[in-house]
Amino acid sequence: MKRNNGNIDRRFDRLRPWAFRAAFLLPALLVYAVILLIPIVDSMRLSLYSGSGLVPTNFVGLANYIKIFTEESFSTHVWGAFRNNVVFFLIVTLIQNVLGFFLALAVTRAVKGAAFFRKVSFLPTTLSVLVVGFLFRQMLNPIWGLLGNYPWLGNEATALPALAVAVSWQFIGESILLYAVGIDGIPSEHLEAARIDGATWFQETRHIVLPALMPIVGMVTLLIFVGDFTQFDIVYSMTTTMANPRYTTDLFGSLFYRAAFSTPVRGGWGMGMGAAVSTIMVFVVSLGVGIWYYAFKGSRKGEV
Amino acid sequence: MKRFLKAQAMRVIALSFVAVVMAVGFASCAKKAPPVKTVTLNLTSWRTEDIERMNRVNALFTASHPNIIINFQPVNDTEYDANMRAGLETDTGADIVWLRSYDTGRTAYDGGWLYDLTKVIPDLDKFSPAAVKAWTAADGVTYGVPSVGVTHGVYYQKAIFEKYGLKEPATWDEFLAVCETLKKGGENVFAQGALDDWTLYEVVFSGLGANFYGGEAARQDLMAGKAKLTDPNFVAAFKAVDSLQKYLPKGYEGLDYVSMQQMFGSGQAAMFMGGSWEIGVFEDLGSDSSKIGWFAPPVAKAGDKLQYCFHVDAGVGLNKKSKNLDAAIEYIKWVAGAEYAQAIMNELPGFFLYNPVKVTLSNPLAQKMFDAAATADNTVRTVWEKLSAQSPSGNSLMGVALPGMMVDKYTPEQAAAYVQDQLASWYPPFKK
Amino acid sequence: MRVKYRIQESFYYLLMAAYLLIIAYPLYLMVATSLKPNAEVFTNPFGPPNTLFLDNYTNMISRSNYGTYFANSLIVVSVSIFAIVVLSSLAAYVLAKHRFRGSAALYAFFVAGLIIPIKLGTISILKLMIGWGINDGLASVILVSVATGIPFGVFILTDFIRLIPEELSSAARIDGCGETAIFGRIIAPLLLPAIAAVAVVNFIPVWNDFWFPLVLLKSDAVKTVPLATALLFGQYQTNYGYVFAVLTMASVPVVIMYLLFSKWFIKGMTEGSIKG
Repeated sequence: MKRNNGNIDRRFDRLRPWAFRAAFLLPALLVYAVILLIPIVDSMRLSLYSGSGLVPTNFVGLANYIKIFTEESFSTHVWGAFRNNVVFFLIVTLIQNVLGFFLALAVTRAVKGAAFFRKVSFLPTTLSVLVVGFLFRQMLNPIWGLLGNYPWLGNEATALPALAVAVSWQFIGESILLYAVGIDGIPSEHLEAARIDGATWFQETRHIVLPALMPIVGMVTLLIFVGDFTQFDIVYSMTTTMANPRYTTDLFGSLFYRAAFSTPVRGGWGMGMGAAVSTIMVFVVSLGVGIWYYAFKGSRKGEV
Repeated sequence: MKRFLKAQAMRVIALSFVAVVMAVGFASCAKKAPPVKTVTLNLTSWRTEDIERMNRVNALFTASHPNIIINFQPVNDTEYDANMRAGLETDTGADIVWLRSYDTGRTAYDGGWLYDLTKVIPDLDKFSPAAVKAWTAADGVTYGVPSVGVTHGVYYQKAIFEKYGLKEPATWDEFLAVCETLKKGGENVFAQGALDDWTLYEVVFSGLGANFYGGEAARQDLMAGKAKLTDPNFVAAFKAVDSLQKYLPKGYEGLDYVSMQQMFGSGQAAMFMGGSWEIGVFEDLGSDSSKIGWFAPPVAKAGDKLQYCFHVDAGVGLNKKSKNLDAAIEYIKWVAGAEYAQAIMNELPGFFLYNPVKVTLSNPLAQKMFDAAATADNTVRTVWEKLSAQSPSGNSLMGVALPGMMVDKYTPEQAAAYVQDQLASWYPPFKK
Repeated sequence: MRVKYRIQESFYYLLMAAYLLIIAYPLYLMVATSLKPNAEVFTNPFGPPNTLFLDNYTNMISRSNYGTYFANSLIVVSVSIFAIVVLSSLAAYVLAKHRFRGSAALYAFFVAGLIIPIKLGTISILKLMIGWGINDGLASVILVSVATGIPFGVFILTDFIRLIPEELSSAARIDGCGETAIFGRIIAPLLLPAIAAVAVVNFIPVWNDFWFPLVLLKSDAVKTVPLATALLFGQYQTNYGYVFAVLTMASVPVVIMYLLFSKWFIKGMTEGSIKG
């Protein structure tokens, strides 16, 4: 462990590398571990407790989980949020990836205005999700909104997709940016060779562009997944934490907030149950990441 | 490269400098330095709409107590209760807190954060006992001064009623006839939506439906477990609400509370089933008492006594750990007195004080609403007391059942059963 | 062949134009509505404002504590970014230049944080902040923002430092420089592009964070801009013009920041994706 790093031999030379390494590493490590990692594990521990107030103190073991999965008034919300989150994620991924891909193709092919387009297309991403949600809520108002007097946010079939459209609208720019970088990175010889061989646009895209983009598609999908399964702001701003209409826009993020931080009148479950919800979210996100790893393992270049 | 980076760095520094100067400038404009030896009391409630009006009311207190300033910082209605309790629990709470009635407010007392007001407010025994009970714990300690109550009824645009020669309906049948006439004339009958979870329950069911389920007597029976929501009288109330569905505006499924208010306040709908607290909102939107009228919830049959939902809305409590306890006690004594009562009646028409003093109501709508209570059996919102103490709360269940019924997801019977069955999962008197 | 490409190209331009319109219209609507008095919003909801009605903005600034909220957000962002940059570069330097047993694992440990949602520990974070007595203050939000930003910082900076030739530091070492001096005088200046990218990329999520201020901050004096946006939105919902002015004000700082520094921003995002 003690290594001489080449300096003139001083007694504390042997300790110096470790002292210095610790000094440089510890601040970041401490903040990261204490504020990001440990609380997640601690919340899982807290889910085994129950009680009113901000910190539950009665140990109840797995009672919270049993309650969540066996009592109808709780399980409907958890399964509802799960189902909604999956649908939400699928819609967002579809719109963001598909539209983003075509727009990235467009911007890398276009000569005029490409730089301007790239810069501006990212603008909505810089806004707060809250602002976008409030904006879309006003636009979808059945009396004074943009899209006629159809109750977009009131109809159970269109409310959740409306949220998904709002989030996609905001983040397509991110996909465009990343995919465009990926397409730019394709060596031009490949594309020229394909053109000389008489490949159609379709073939060119399918056999050269898409495979090259797979790692980025994978990364974008992962980011969208983790972001969507903890998304809260859009629900708060578009349909409130009560996830109107009748919890059909409830995502895990809004369920967690409502369960942990609201009073029973507004659908709160208490901190212990709230911690159980966040623990369930940990498992769902881990499961998703696991599935992602399995699906995209083959096309990832190298290792992290 | 280095020069370029330097240029970027200079840009950042310049920008930050400008921003900081701006921010400091704004910040110093926003706060005025108070004179020496003043005490600032933090007051919080859920009425974010009333900041300016409350500031005018509280200025009267400062006029008579020059070294006490009241800093009114309300929180959004939906977050208020959790926010208030978290603040009290972590010693970051306000000095004076508005409390909802019954269980919701009592949790703040159960946590040990509220001051016992029984000894501090001398006139507490002159307040109406029913009101005091709403802020008294089982051990007899009163932790909140009953402050304001609100009533529920139907507002209407006078011009539209005149156009069709309509009179204020007294019975439900008359009410439906009015709705039919308006609908045939192509008007928006009600500015009412089904998007927000609480409006159909708190106003339409508790307000208008009370005449069908039998008001306070029925509510007491329900709480005692002697009645169920699936009993004929309660189902009749659900049915009455349901019968209004065909008079809701196009797109009502997506109409939220604020849009409802805007729609009526700007004259685009004939009627608005709402609470007494809306008077100020409609005034701000251009519909003052010369343009709109109000009638009490129509009774089920001619000759019935009005079952009037006069809900105990807010009490005022004192943070035990306030750092300015003496000043806070002064303020809360003033809140229980005559000057406060009159000031609130003037500034916030539609908020009726429980203070045992004589006040004059300047707003004719408010006067009408208040007068209706004299010849009625008064009650409060149906599942507010005891039935909303735990999850799933009566409130949140009603918030699913009633909107669901209005979009034909549930029949009235199913809606009633939905609430009853879920309450039975935890409410002891229902568990038989 | 030429014609085919022309058709394709015009299709692309059409697509880009359509997309720009979809992006621009809601933003235009937000700003245009903010410049209308409430009555005009109902009579002329979609057209340009009849006059430049600035009352919504002046009311917001004079009647609410907007200056305080803005200052709070500024403090949170600048302190957080400073801390993220300093802590990340220190750690990255060790991880990049000093290969010791466990350094690869430590690097992976940090980088894993990129996909670990800090929100899932909120209940315990609240408990922690209450225990330390800082929950209703900017310090709690700053700490959370720093913890969230460290994985990305370490990720980007470690690779960047690895590219710095070893000879520079070895030469300095032979001359008798201590490690700290090496870091401060030689490495850090070369890091500026990467630091700029990390700083700019973190600015947006830290400024726009709503969840943690919502959970941690209660007093009005410490609210940040997103929290105030939600409050003011709820307060004056019946005044559309005012509400849109609130939204516009919340967006202007980030948009300006982005437009000024978009190059660094794009660089930071693409660095992350290329390595991902």
